[in-house]
Amino acid sequence: MSTDYLADAAKGVPSLHAVLVTAMPDCLLFDSWLEEGSSWQAEEIATYLGDLFRANREGLKALSSWSADMLVTIESPEHYILLKEVSNDFVCACVFGRKTALGMARLYMQRMLERIAESLPVFKVEERPRGVRVVDFLDRYAPDPHAVLLRVSLRTGVPMAALEKPESLSDEHVAEIEKTAASILGLETLNI
Amino acid sequence: MKQMRSLLAALPDDDLTFLGSSPYVYHCHHFNLFHDQTVDDALGNEQAFAVKSRAAHEASWHLLADLVKSADAVTPAERLEIAAAALPWMGHGRLALLTEKHGGTARGEYLHYGFSWQEKYGSRVRRRHPADAFAAGWAAAATEVAYDLPPGSLRCREHACFACREAACTFEVEGGGDANLDTYVGKETFERFISPATVGQNEDTVRKIAAGLKDFVAGIESDERGLVQGFGVYVTRHLANYYDQTAYDTIHMIEREKPRVTEVIEELFGESGHVCVFYTCGGILASPEWEALVGPPENDPESIVVSCTAIARGLGFGHWSIAEMVPGERLVLQASSNYEAPFYRERYGKSEKPRCYFFANAARAFMQLAHKVDWQERPQLDDALYQSLFKSNLGWDLEMTRCQTRGDEVNEVVVTRRKA
Repeated sequence: MSTDYLADAAKGVPSLHAVLVTAMPDCLLFDSWLEEGSSWQAEEIATYLGDLFRANREGLKALSSWSADMLVTIESPEHYILLKEVSNDFVCACVFGRKTALGMARLYMQRMLERIAESLPVFKVEERPRGVRVVDFLDRYAPDPHAVLLRVSLRTGVPMAALEKPESLSDEHVAEIEKTAASILGLETLNI
Repeated sequence: MKQMRSLLAALPDDDLTFLGSSPYVYHCHHFNLFHDQTVDDALGNEQAFAVKSRAAHEASWHLLADLVKSADAVTPAERLEIAAAALPWMGHGRLALLTEKHGGTARGEYLHYGFSWQEKYGSRVRRRHPADAFAAGWAAAATEVAYDLPPGSLRCREHACFACREAACTFEVEGGGDANLDTYVGKETFERFISPATVGQNEDTVRKIAAGLKDFVAGIESDERGLVQGFGVYVTRHLANYYDQTAYDTIHMIEREKPRVTEVIEELFGESGHVCVFYTCGGILASPEWEALVGPPENDPESIVVSCTAIARGLGFGHWSIAEMVPGERLVLQASSNYEAPFYRERYGKSEKPRCYFFANAARAFMQLAHKVDWQERPQLDDALYQSLFKSNLGWDLEMTRCQTRGDEVNEVVVTRRKA
């Protein structure tokens, strides 16, 4: 998948393998450019990198050292992965091969972001009901996802028919299933 | 282990196996973990551990008593040694029992539940409660038998668990137990509640394959960890009463206290039937051992159902037989004996509704494996394939038409293609 504005921004940038734009806070792929012949799954990468960026942001906020200008850099043996917020609604990830110096990669990214930011629509993120987000989170991360709603129903007593329509859950039920989801995943709270 | 082998017994025509008088079956870690998880979900971690360790205690006590009697073990040290050696033979890992007359401690390594949980789920979920209720019940029962204490007088708690990322599993055995050893479901109970073996379609083939598989699994030995690894799973020779008591006690509690989720817990215990058939029957079908015994599995639904039925018999699940099989449409599976109904009848009396959840859902999973898996492609039986087969692609309805828990002559389930 590639849209013209991303392909244009990526044109001529050496050792660039991918550009992914992730919609926040749901960490869903908004748009992507992958170099020709790539076998990467853009949806999957965008989701995980979005999660990573969000966790990083929350961690820095907890340390009182967060800034919107923050750039996240990951150095893997083969790649530099750079993550930066484009706006409140989008995070952009650029994946470079290590042939490019890290400083140059950051420079290229900065230039690309200026072009990408101009092309991104004014995107109003739909505030999905919290119950829907809890169920999505479970579906993504819980073991045995085929049975996870049954497990939640058994633990909470909330009927399956209600869990299958999470957008209609009462606040009380949402609080219960959120607590149960955290317990199933061994977490203190859900960061959604 | 010589003493354990000397206790091996069977009702061969009924495809049931016993250690002394205790019924045992082969189940894999996927099934075991899912089963225990359902108890945890239903009751909460603390109460679930109590229910599970009590069931383990009650199931183990009679086996351990048979074992020390058959070995003519007189001293506590001899008896504890026998108990410690028996657990690895069953594929449950190693448990050092450091107990005296009034209790003490135990230390486990590679215990089946904690170890396999960590291997299956540990990279995805942080566990915060111990997993080895079976070993806890075993430790309490072994100490009682070793010191001739009143049955049920001790209890055992697990303080540290490998599943919770601790180095080893540690237990404390102490007074205050509440296991009830008055009612026991043993070989004689089974003989009272099962029916004469039925003859199904392809009976000669089913019987022949089952006999070969029984010989094969009887010879399986555990490794140096006390685990049995084969067919891509960790296998246990497990006490059937443990499964029955934990499942039925839990379901009854839900029926009393949270009746609106009764169907949910029945579905989850049924789901463990899917899990078992996929991982254990599927793993056996895809194994080199199966190829040597029967030949490679073919993309022929009838042949797969015949094979799965034979595997069920070979693993001690009872005398399952195919009453009717119409490929692509319908399976009627019967069981003149299984490990669920005799326990239920003895412990709880006649049920008003069918309650052989494992048997019924296993039949549905037979049809799913028979029709939706490309066996000639030698599929990888992993979680991804499981999700694709059992999450939303389950095209079969099932009805438990007869059930021995209800007083019927046989257990019978009818699986039919779900109408679009």
